[in-house]
Amino acid sequence: MSNEDAKHTALEEAKRAVEEAEALTGGSAVAVHATTGPRRSPLVTLAWVAPGTIWLLLFLIAPLVMIVLVSLWQKTPVGFDPFVFTTEGYTKLFQTPVYLDTLKDTIIRALLVTALCILIGYPIAYFLARGVSSIRYQIALFVFVLAPFWVAYVVRIVAWLPVLGRQGVINYFLVEVIGVRAEPIDALLYSNFAIILALVQLYVLFMVTPIFFQLATLDNAAIEAARDLGATPAKVFREVVLPLSLPGVLIGCIFVFVLVMGEFATVRLIGGGTIQSVGTLVYDYYKLPDLPTAAAGATILVAVMTIGVAVLLRFSKIREVV
Amino acid sequence: MTRVSDEQTGLVLKDVYRVFPGDVTAVSDVNLHVQNGEYIVFLGPSGCGKTTTLRLIGGHDDPSSGTITIDGEMMNGVSPAERPITTVFQHYALFPHKSVLQNVAFGLKMQGVDKAEREAQAKAAIDLVGLTKMMDRKPRELSGGQQQRVALARVLVTRPKAILLDEPLGDLDRLLQMKMRVELRALQRELGITFIHVTHNQEEALSMADRIVVMGDAVIQQVGTPEELARHPRNEFVAKFMGDNNVFHGTISGTNGGNVVIDTPHGTVEVPGTGTAGQPGSMAIRASAVKVSTDATPAVNGVTVRLDFAEYLGDSVKLHLDLDGQPFMAKVHEERYTEIRAFEGRDVTASWAAEDGHLLEQ
Repeated sequence: MSNEDAKHTALEEAKRAVEEAEALTGGSAVAVHATTGPRRSPLVTLAWVAPGTIWLLLFLIAPLVMIVLVSLWQKTPVGFDPFVFTTEGYTKLFQTPVYLDTLKDTIIRALLVTALCILIGYPIAYFLARGVSSIRYQIALFVFVLAPFWVAYVVRIVAWLPVLGRQGVINYFLVEVIGVRAEPIDALLYSNFAIILALVQLYVLFMVTPIFFQLATLDNAAIEAARDLGATPAKVFREVVLPLSLPGVLIGCIFVFVLVMGEFATVRLIGGGTIQSVGTLVYDYYKLPDLPTAAAGATILVAVMTIGVAVLLRFSKIREVV
Repeated sequence: MTRVSDEQTGLVLKDVYRVFPGDVTAVSDVNLHVQNGEYIVFLGPSGCGKTTTLRLIGGHDDPSSGTITIDGEMMNGVSPAERPITTVFQHYALFPHKSVLQNVAFGLKMQGVDKAEREAQAKAAIDLVGLTKMMDRKPRELSGGQQQRVALARVLVTRPKAILLDEPLGDLDRLLQMKMRVELRALQRELGITFIHVTHNQEEALSMADRIVVMGDAVIQQVGTPEELARHPRNEFVAKFMGDNNVFHGTISGTNGGNVVIDTPHGTVEVPGTGTAGQPGSMAIRASAVKVSTDATPAVNGVTVRLDFAEYLGDSVKLHLDLDGQPFMAKVHEERYTEIRAFEGRDVTASWAAEDGHLLEQ
């Protein structure tokens, strides 16, 4: 049979229905079609939309607009002058090599942490979703994986100090227990390595969670069909499971990338003041106080994150996979 | 694969059981021999074991005991991929991220066939199911009927000895179902491949199968051609499940010529067969073999019933009758609709010839 035929018939039926309706109403059938949904007063619709809209306006749009405005105002010794517009803040940043270098470092760090989170998070999510057969154990283990979230953010960061510090667990083990080093390694803490380690630990769950849900809701029949058609376990993974889990990976990447780009406290605490991120730099300007320059730094950061997310979405065509 | 027998070609299930943990017997004592090129339909209500049997044949589940062989090759323990059979899954299980062409070529890709060759073969299979124009589309851009053809093409391309179809028409609307019945059957004849089809729809089974396997309560209730099943249901389960059968229960009181005489609460019936007096006896009579008239009720093979409702079906009229508070069914030619309708709410006589009834196994 041909689908065109079916479509054709359906189209004719629809036309006939419209004609009949027109005959009945003695006029335009469009009105009949427009009211096929439940009738609702515009006020009710407004009431439904209002809370979300107000929330977004107050907590997302308004602060963003404020930051952009502040970044364009003239700095004064105590704050800013809202009546003088200038791009001084941006000029200052682009003329300071430190800012551009820090921006570059922040982007590289965010990409690196995102990649590490995929490498570590994917197997965890895969095991949880496909390796545990009982739903009860699956949920229990998932809650267990979420355990770090029960502890405050700062506590999770500070917990690294006694592990990585000069007199921390690792150095103690290396120097005192097995004696492979005469002196403790300082680079364990206050280094890029330490920051990345801590960031991965902090954010890997944002990667595990969406991948877990994507994998857990995967169509088992597709996997069974692949096996039936001769796919080995490795091929089932490469041809079916992996492509179908990519939307989850992508959402995880957006989470981790955006969160790490804006990171501030981890870099400050684990980096020990020697390593900067755009976040810490903005904070430094804020303390000077140089609010317009701080706002300009934040605006650029938001712009870079938006571009990053847009690129991710553009190249992955997220809606086409699912 | 181990060669166990050179004699039996086709698919053979021997003493197959499948018992799930918790002592749930899904499939019990299944013995079946499917000839190559047959169109077999497994028919039964949900939970009767038909899908489990299909999964056992396909290798997606293992029998607890018993053997399954194909052309003499032992299939027990052989993975689905290595069996010369493929499955068209319920809801088709297409790969949503692959195009029609990639879906169809998948089996060959897994066999390591090179790209040009597998695409050529896949295109031929797509052509066979009439979807050449849709080759580059994704499954979600296709209608239900088209998705089903993709699922068919995807298994046909690997040239299996048999194809297993799990409720293949279940997702389609009624008109499309009718069309696909004919198409599937035509395709099966053209290819000469064994089709094993699972459904709970009697009409579908009757219209498509060479032989129907009726399953109920985990066992095979009856195997037969559509005609055999419609005319000679073996037991009450089959008689009731195939529909349009009236069943009488009673006690055998003796024999009369080649007939058994059964005393039932609704009167005496005679039915071809043999039996021992005093034993319980049941018989079935098809709705279409029942004659409805206003004549006096005969002493044997006749009951007085009230006509509740005459249902016009186009080519026939289905009469919903009331026999002492129990439903009774008759079918008459559609020409009699006006005449019969006049009797709605009144008593009429339902009678039948002894040779149209049949004795059911207890």
